[in-house]
Amino acid sequence: MLDILERFGLSLLIGQFPHGPLGGIALTLAMSATALVLAFPLAILVALAREATWRPVRRAAAVYVYAVRGIPLLLLIFWAYFVLPLLTGLDAPASVTVVAALVVYQGAYLGEAIRGAIRALPPGQAEAARALGLGYWRTIYWVILPQALFNCLPSIVNQFILLVKDTSLAYIVGAHEATFAATQINAQLLTKPLQVYVILAGIYFLLCYTLSRLSRMLERRVVRRRARPAASQPSFSEASA
Amino acid sequence: MFTSTTFDILWQRDVQLLFLDGLRVTLELFALSAVAAYALGALLAALHFAGAFCSGLVQAFVGYHRNVPAIVQLMVWYFGVPQAFPASWTGWTDAHLSGFFYAVVALSLNAAAYISEDLRSGFRAVSHGQYEAARALGLGYVATLKLVLMPQAARAALPALVNQALSLFKATSLAMAIGVADVMYIARQVDGATYATFASYLVPTVLYLICTLTLMACGSWLHTRLSAR
Amino acid sequence: MKRLISAILFGLLMAGTASADQLADIKARNTLVCGVFGDLVPLGFEDPATRKPVGFDVDICSEIAGSLGVKLQISTVSVAARIPAVSAGRVDVVAAALGYTPERAKQIDFSSAYYQTPIPVLVKKDGPYRTFADLRGKKVSAIRASTPELFARQTLKNTEIITFDDGPAAYLALQQNKVQGMAISQGAAVGFRNRSEGSIVFMNEVLHWEPECIGVKKGETALLEAVNRALDKLESSGRLQQIWDKWFGPETEYKLTRERKVTSLAQFQSE
Repeated sequence: MLDILERFGLSLLIGQFPHGPLGGIALTLAMSATALVLAFPLAILVALAREATWRPVRRAAAVYVYAVRGIPLLLLIFWAYFVLPLLTGLDAPASVTVVAALVVYQGAYLGEAIRGAIRALPPGQAEAARALGLGYWRTIYWVILPQALFNCLPSIVNQFILLVKDTSLAYIVGAHEATFAATQINAQLLTKPLQVYVILAGIYFLLCYTLSRLSRMLERRVVRRRARPAASQPSFSEASA
Repeated sequence: MFTSTTFDILWQRDVQLLFLDGLRVTLELFALSAVAAYALGALLAALHFAGAFCSGLVQAFVGYHRNVPAIVQLMVWYFGVPQAFPASWTGWTDAHLSGFFYAVVALSLNAAAYISEDLRSGFRAVSHGQYEAARALGLGYVATLKLVLMPQAARAALPALVNQALSLFKATSLAMAIGVADVMYIARQVDGATYATFASYLVPTVLYLICTLTLMACGSWLHTRLSAR
Repeated sequence: MKRLISAILFGLLMAGTASADQLADIKARNTLVCGVFGDLVPLGFEDPATRKPVGFDVDICSEIAGSLGVKLQISTVSVAARIPAVSAGRVDVVAAALGYTPERAKQIDFSSAYYQTPIPVLVKKDGPYRTFADLRGKKVSAIRASTPELFARQTLKNTEIITFDDGPAAYLALQQNKVQGMAISQGAAVGFRNRSEGSIVFMNEVLHWEPECIGVKKGETALLEAVNRALDKLESSGRLQQIWDKWFGPETEYKLTRERKVTSLAQFQSE
């Protein structure tokens, strides 16, 4: 197995770059990070919409979340890659369409996580903010979201880990990420699928395990911070000063 | 281009039969994997109490299945594992079993890992007093687990367990990559033959939505029934 | 008078948008985006040493780009995505063992055939299958949405066809006895056979003789003519034979002769 790593290591790491587009593990991480960053604003909107007072908005967001959670990610990727170009005439490389599908997918899941964090906040926060005269959007922006996002930081890192794993599906539509690199290596070697796929599994394991350790560290800090009595939380002392 | 968005193929009998076949395969995959996954998941969760070594093994199992993508697990099973065994063993398995078998194995092991973790959290929610009372009543170790702790843990972890069923159902779509003729495989096959892309992918979308919404409804029905006490 | 002018303007507008000339676009951005395989030896694959895309189709593409006077950009496509890729404009041309079928001709335009291949079926050497009749009730693998899949379904009536997304997966299924045969186009088939260390052989019959062409988006007549001119020039200058010999010729492991030179589409459209 070591000789496979030696021969193909660079291909697994960065794909054909610079002779071609970026690939391999580098593309996996790039796609995951881009998808998370782009899904973030969408997720916040979805979370707020799910808790909105206006019923059509709540309904629309619920339909979105249930629809996206009801179909496999693979199907969403096929929609983005095969059907969308037919309907809109836009064409984009495989990795871009997969990131788009992941953004839509994570918009629902991350949105639910943020929504849970918002609901878990003590209602006193919102009430106090209103009492101080802050409008809806001000309350959301200065009081609710900072706390909710901080509290669901471990969830966000977990979603990033899920994203890293989900990018593996992109090989089916031809994006050059780590799994695709492995199938290319398989095409070269042909008689060593066990070694190639075990190496691939090992790569994902290392990546995700490290990230999950990070997530646990973050979770400990969040728990510690939440356990602190409310009086010492800065946002309030500033507001009352 | 116009042909790519027509719905004509949906009215063709042979296409309809193909999709129904695919749906049947998907449901079979789900049913078999679910049974195996929940059974194995319960066993793994219970093994956590069987000492540090067992617990470590289970943790390694769970760690692998949670950190490696499901599609890669499928590929390791379907393409990799047969390579490791001599031809005499695999001769029988390859002739009689196929992608379906490996898909069930891979999917159920994957789901079992998550289920065992959910049950573990469920166990933590069951108060220690239950365990002590059961032992005080003279119940053996395994009986305690089976009759007292597990049902309560399962009830505590019900939302998570229902979610796992949902994930497992959606994960059956991955089997198309190893040649299992599930609904997703059929959709791609129909698209490849007829170029009616929109219609070909609309059918599995509708089918999956119907199935997952049904699952979610079953889940909430279970929830209300079991938490009524 | 006003109606005449607006009719002329309308006509000009429609003429402008109706065929957004892809050839002009290609010349304007000075790049030809060519879709080839990324994992099928020797048609299109990644050279492990240099990590560059290489192969028979890659060379053909670079010749076409050269004759158009533009740079070449390689984009890999999977078998199932060849036609959608060129229809959607992701690639300008696709050169990836694209067999002509009347069905496909409704979706995209085909160039002249630059080579024709038989579509064989590979089987295990020490297996009992020699003719297609032997495969009754058995399983044969193929790549999804490829012409070998199509012809396998047509010719091998009582055989179950299992499709995979890529060649190596279909090959592994054969090697691991999950299927009893594999239907794949000649070039790739020889590649697999030669690397199988003697365990895989051809069957005596072939499924079909297929013309392989370059795929171009439907309606792009200027681009299609330019590609056909390039192919004709390649043939007459002998360069096409050179490229063929480089990848399939007597010096290589394949030793295939290129039967039937560049054939225009009209010649086999009536078949």
